Amino acid sequence: MRGTDRAAFAVAFTARLRRAGLQAGITETDDLVRALAVSPPTSRTALYWTARIALVRRHGDLAVFERVFATVFNDTPPLPLSRSAVPPRRRDDGLHVAVPGTGDEGAAAGGGLPWATLPPAVAADDPDLPGEGLDLPDLRPSDLAALADRPFEELDQAQTEALGTALRAALTSWPQRRSRRHRADPAGHRVALRPTIARARRTGWEAITVVRERPVPRPRRVVMLCDVSESMRSQAAACLQLMRAFTTVADAEVFAFATRLTRLTVPLRHTSAREAIEQASDAVDDRFGGTRIAANIAALLASHHGNTVRGGVVIIASDGWDSDPPEAMTAVMTRLRRRAYRILWLNPRAGAAGFAPRVGGMAAALPFCDDLLPAATFTDLTAATHHLRTLTR
Amino acid sequence: MNNPDEVIEGLDAADYLADDGLAMAVFLALRLGRPLLLEGEPGVGKTAAAKALARALDTPFIRLQCYEGLTAGEALYEWNYQRQLLHIRLAEARGVSVDDADLFTTDFLQERPILKAVRHAGPTPPVLLIDEIDRADDEFEALLFEFLGEASVTVPELGTFAATRPPIVVLTSNRSRDLHDALRRRCLYHWIEFPAPDRAASIVRRAVPGATAPLIRDATEFIGRVRGLDLDKAPGLAESIDWVSALAALGVTELAAADVWRTIGAIAKTPDDRVAVAAALPPPPTR
Repeated sequence: MRGTDRAAFAVAFTARLRRAGLQAGITETDDLVRALAVSPPTSRTALYWTARIALVRRHGDLAVFERVFATVFNDTPPLPLSRSAVPPRRRDDGLHVAVPGTGDEGAAAGGGLPWATLPPAVAADDPDLPGEGLDLPDLRPSDLAALADRPFEELDQAQTEALGTALRAALTSWPQRRSRRHRADPAGHRVALRPTIARARRTGWEAITVVRERPVPRPRRVVMLCDVSESMRSQAAACLQLMRAFTTVADAEVFAFATRLTRLTVPLRHTSAREAIEQASDAVDDRFGGTRIAANIAALLASHHGNTVRGGVVIIASDGWDSDPPEAMTAVMTRLRRRAYRILWLNPRAGAAGFAPRVGGMAAALPFCDDLLPAATFTDLTAATHHLRTLTR
Repeated sequence: MNNPDEVIEGLDAADYLADDGLAMAVFLALRLGRPLLLEGEPGVGKTAAAKALARALDTPFIRLQCYEGLTAGEALYEWNYQRQLLHIRLAEARGVSVDDADLFTTDFLQERPILKAVRHAGPTPPVLLIDEIDRADDEFEALLFEFLGEASVTVPELGTFAATRPPIVVLTSNRSRDLHDALRRRCLYHWIEFPAPDRAASIVRRAVPGATAPLIRDATEFIGRVRGLDLDKAPGLAESIDWVSALAALGVTELAAADVWRTIGAIAKTPDDRVAVAAALPPPPTR
């Protein structure tokens, strides 16, 4: 547990237990933090006991604790954590494509030879492999929750799509503004003359029922700019899903950029998620030329879409590696700041330990951003959309 | 106006220099009786086109400025509630009974721009300008559909007013918001391009008769150069006209850096732009 924020761990773990029905409060959490301090867990068993002693106060809660502890820690590698202890990650780069085997491959890798080689790229006939016929996805919400915590680069296309759909469903709240349109509401302050007089017709033209109205809140527009350059390769697919969620759920304008700006609002509105993403990916053709963040924001502001930024929430998803000088970034962010209501910057590296916004472009843009949020997993993206809710003044 | 060339001539007589595209758009809108949606960057002459059209056709010009929350009460019609109530009290005092038919008559109807355009009873249909429709909201767009489609306005208490001569409707938009497809479907559309320098010069010459030819040439050329800079608000044609008017009012006959400095407020509208435009000026001569 070296380098782990004990308090964060304890709070998160207790929260999870509480959701599962275990009655543990601040006192128990505090106990767990202190317990972890005095007895740093050296093994899974040690951790189990420390946590159990600190948290469980009733026999009836034991079953819940066991279950939650098992879900949380079953998949984790044994402690102590070291790089060598972590199993190598599965590669999904299309290099190792399994071809149907002939059935005579040796069971052991290396074919019984006294040295180790790469595992065979030829798969044995596996009854579990998806064969012909309809392959129905069998995803439970908990599966998605586990996937959501994985970095983008470890997700395959289907998983990204499933998470994108979940993200869209989660996108319910929105920063709002007060509009100048009014709606009848008993709690309103303004008297609505027309309906009041209309009611008065029934009461001999005496206005007995006074109809009141109040302003209708409107969702603010969201303008999202996503960096799709080579350095953001794995993140771009997920950001496209987020942009699609925005375009389909509410009033949003979305753009992708690397060396130049591409408007993706229309392609991403397509009813079919897969087709929308494909069309959007086709529309972007400047992925491999480097990144010009400042120039692209300037292009957005100068174009006739520049007015869409006014009063809106601007979200920029980029790692901040900019080939334009930082002064250009400062100039353009000043201008953007004046037009936008809020600016959020999603940086895939921001969640990493020891991250500091030292990249020129990022450092220059930071003073103008309301928030710098991590965006390395779908959990981060969901958190970012929830963060939007807090932006209402 | 029987062909686009006559539209150009007509607008020319009204001091508006239209290009072929705009002339065709206006001609078709007049001929087909369809509303015309004009888009273009600010200050390119969208509103001026509608005004000039009214002058050219010698008809009344009715204007509706859009804003968010615009309702039927401000755009179509409103009942004069005060007068209605007064009428009721009067009837009470006289001991006369009042019913709906007495209260909801055209006497108590207050015309707002759209109903005014529909009920206009002149020899020629009026020009109705619905300005900056992008500033209104979806609800208002929906409110317009009946009028744009059928040139009629329905007042539930009275019935439907249909225009004897459908008004000529011009809508303008700055594209700060995407208009609904249903609205676009009902309109003819024209995007007004920023004119080329020589064309801009002739427009400015027409708008500011007092300015000298070299001044107008230099000024429009300078504006063309300034528009190439990275500006927050690039000066449009309206700014060019303002600026040349300002220079002409100062008695300037040929453009000099010092005069640009004195009148920079007419073309640069933010502090940043001021700096950028100033940087584009030739350095002041050392004395």
